[in-house]
Amino acid sequence: MSEGGPDTARSIVYIVDDDRDLGAAVARLLVRHGHAAEPFLDPAILLSVYADAPAHCVVTDIMMGDLDGFGFADRVREIDPAVAIVFMTAWPTTANAVDSVRRYGGLDYLEKPFDERRLIAAVAEGVAWSRHQRAVRARTAALTARERQVFDLVVLGHSSKVVAHLLGLSIKTVEDHRAAIMTKTGANGLAQLIALAR
Amino acid sequence: MIPVRAFLSSLLRSVRPRRADLPWIAGYAVAFLVSHHVAAMWGGQGFYSLLYPAAGLRIALLWSRGPRLTPAIAMAELVVQTVNGVIVPGAPGWIMAMIGVARPPLTYGAVVWAVRRLAPHLRSTLGVAPMPLAIGSIAAPVAASLVSLPWALWHPELTGADGASRLVASLTNFMVGDLLGVMLVAPPLLWAVQGAPGWRRVARIDRGRMLALGEAALVLGTAMALAVLLAAVGLGTPVTPGLLAVAWIGLRFGRTAGWCAVLVVAAITLPFTTGPLPLAERLALHMSLASVVVVGYLAGSFSDAQAKAQVDLARRDRMLFQAERLKTLRAMSVAVIHEISQPLSTIAIEASHLRVIAADADPEIAEAAALIDRKAATLSQLVRRLRRFGGRAVDEPSALPVAALIDMVAALVGPEAKAARTVLTIDPIDPNLFVLGQEIELSQAMMNLVRNALQACDGSVEIAAAREGDMVRIGIRNRCAPDQAMRPGMGVGGLVARAIVEAHGGTLTRQANAAGDVCATLTLPLAGAGQ
Repeated sequence: MSEGGPDTARSIVYIVDDDRDLGAAVARLLVRHGHAAEPFLDPAILLSVYADAPAHCVVTDIMMGDLDGFGFADRVREIDPAVAIVFMTAWPTTANAVDSVRRYGGLDYLEKPFDERRLIAAVAEGVAWSRHQRAVRARTAALTARERQVFDLVVLGHSSKVVAHLLGLSIKTVEDHRAAIMTKTGANGLAQLIALAR
Repeated sequence: MIPVRAFLSSLLRSVRPRRADLPWIAGYAVAFLVSHHVAAMWGGQGFYSLLYPAAGLRIALLWSRGPRLTPAIAMAELVVQTVNGVIVPGAPGWIMAMIGVARPPLTYGAVVWAVRRLAPHLRSTLGVAPMPLAIGSIAAPVAASLVSLPWALWHPELTGADGASRLVASLTNFMVGDLLGVMLVAPPLLWAVQGAPGWRRVARIDRGRMLALGEAALVLGTAMALAVLLAAVGLGTPVTPGLLAVAWIGLRFGRTAGWCAVLVVAAITLPFTTGPLPLAERLALHMSLASVVVVGYLAGSFSDAQAKAQVDLARRDRMLFQAERLKTLRAMSVAVIHEISQPLSTIAIEASHLRVIAADADPEIAEAAALIDRKAATLSQLVRRLRRFGGRAVDEPSALPVAALIDMVAALVGPEAKAARTVLTIDPIDPNLFVLGQEIELSQAMMNLVRNALQACDGSVEIAAAREGDMVRIGIRNRCAPDQAMRPGMGVGGLVARAIVEAHGGTLTRQANAAGDVCATLTLPLAGAGQ
């Protein structure tokens, strides 16, 4: 999986809506606000190409043909856990609004016709969140399996002694792993390490 | 002691006749005096009369003006009987005489009160007008004679009758006299007082009516002829043919026809009984006549009540059909809202962009773009509002600002008001008034009331809200333009509004004032006393 490009690059946003005009209009709106936005008519097509061109944020309709917005969100998350998802719908219900945020990790639930400012704010927030996620993943990606185990325990606040005991290693080995983790992630102290794990 | 005193004083206040009642009471006293003397023609030993029209006056007044007039009516009768010399203040036994005079009107009042209280709770035809009146008209004379039984036993000299058989005869005479008086006199009086819809209907002659009249005349004529024939061959004066005839006429053609048939029978019978007849024979005749009258009037009332129940049923059916149509309409409008919201989203986005890029263009273009953007935004807001209103989802009750509720309702019915050329005004509303409830339901209730007001007539509709203790009172008042008749609706909207308001712990009342304004007032409990 390739990464979403350096931070200076334009953020990538996909819009999924079975209304071609609306998708295009939202895409143009987001382009005007500095995003590289691309409309998709069919969620299946986006899923088939997504792995090669992951996005920071996906804005998706809920009521669509074969695959609804929630099912689509689950599938995208499987491919890319670091993508932010914003739902939009012309059939708003309270139950869906709650589900979209709690169960499907949606960042917002927008009612059509949208409040433009809210859409732009939601996408901006999604992009920022996604960039942070990608940065964390990039910095922890180089860790070995053992280093990852140590990392997961250290960020929980355990001391090296406890980590060594839990993993059945010597304190010296754990200290070595910690040093390697610090080097690979470029973290400067425990606080930054914990911030990475968020 | 305080509650008892408060209850008594409120009772006293309610039974004290109002200014508007005074002419009625005075008229009653005069009519009572006259009819009391007329009745003496059918008088006899141990009882006053076998036909007592004053009882009919009494029940007509009680029924039309309400049982609260009972004490005033009793007082009027006491005065009249003092003038008549029945009560001689200071003479021996005058207290008993007073009680004897006051007893029947008090009993009548109690019966009318009880019938009116019970009738709304009856599920059967008995509770449908005019059955309660018929029941009251029969129950009151019966009750009056039953109530006087203990007194007659205690003081036989009062009725002038001694011995069990004479006592029973006296009371039966009393009952029959009152029954005949009530049945023959009260219905036409009530029709006259209540605008006589029956008479206008009777006066209209058409083919069906002529046929009905012919049938009734044939039935009654045959019955009377049969009775006369039987009497002529010396077989007594049988009542059965007349009984069957009035029952038939009452059931077929209703109360007015039934009463007319009864009147014919009475007019033929009564002249025979004013002359010197043996008491037993006269009593028998009057009892027969009373049963004919009771049967005819009951049958007619029952038939009218059935017809009314049928009309109610048909109305309920129509309401059901309308509810069904509304359901379809709702589903359709939800679909339409969805279909609109999709392209509208595109239009709104593009319009807002167009406005930005056209800002520096030709002023005319910039202005047009700004206008399109504004209209798209207004339309978007309307769609969101309509959708929330039509939504099926039931939210948790929340604290709702009354001002916002009224604003939403006004925005939704605004176009309808404009189309109906009605001015909708909203008084300034305290923004600190909050009620706890379902936003959609409450706005639906208010919307129904406002729409009812709009549809009732052309003119103006005013909405006002004010705090009243720990409740908020919201008034929806419609003022009709002069010479405007109210257009009645189906009544579904009002029923729904009442159900919603009552479910929120509030009340809904409708009052009309003399100027023809109608004000629907709903009260709702304030949330957290206006936090």
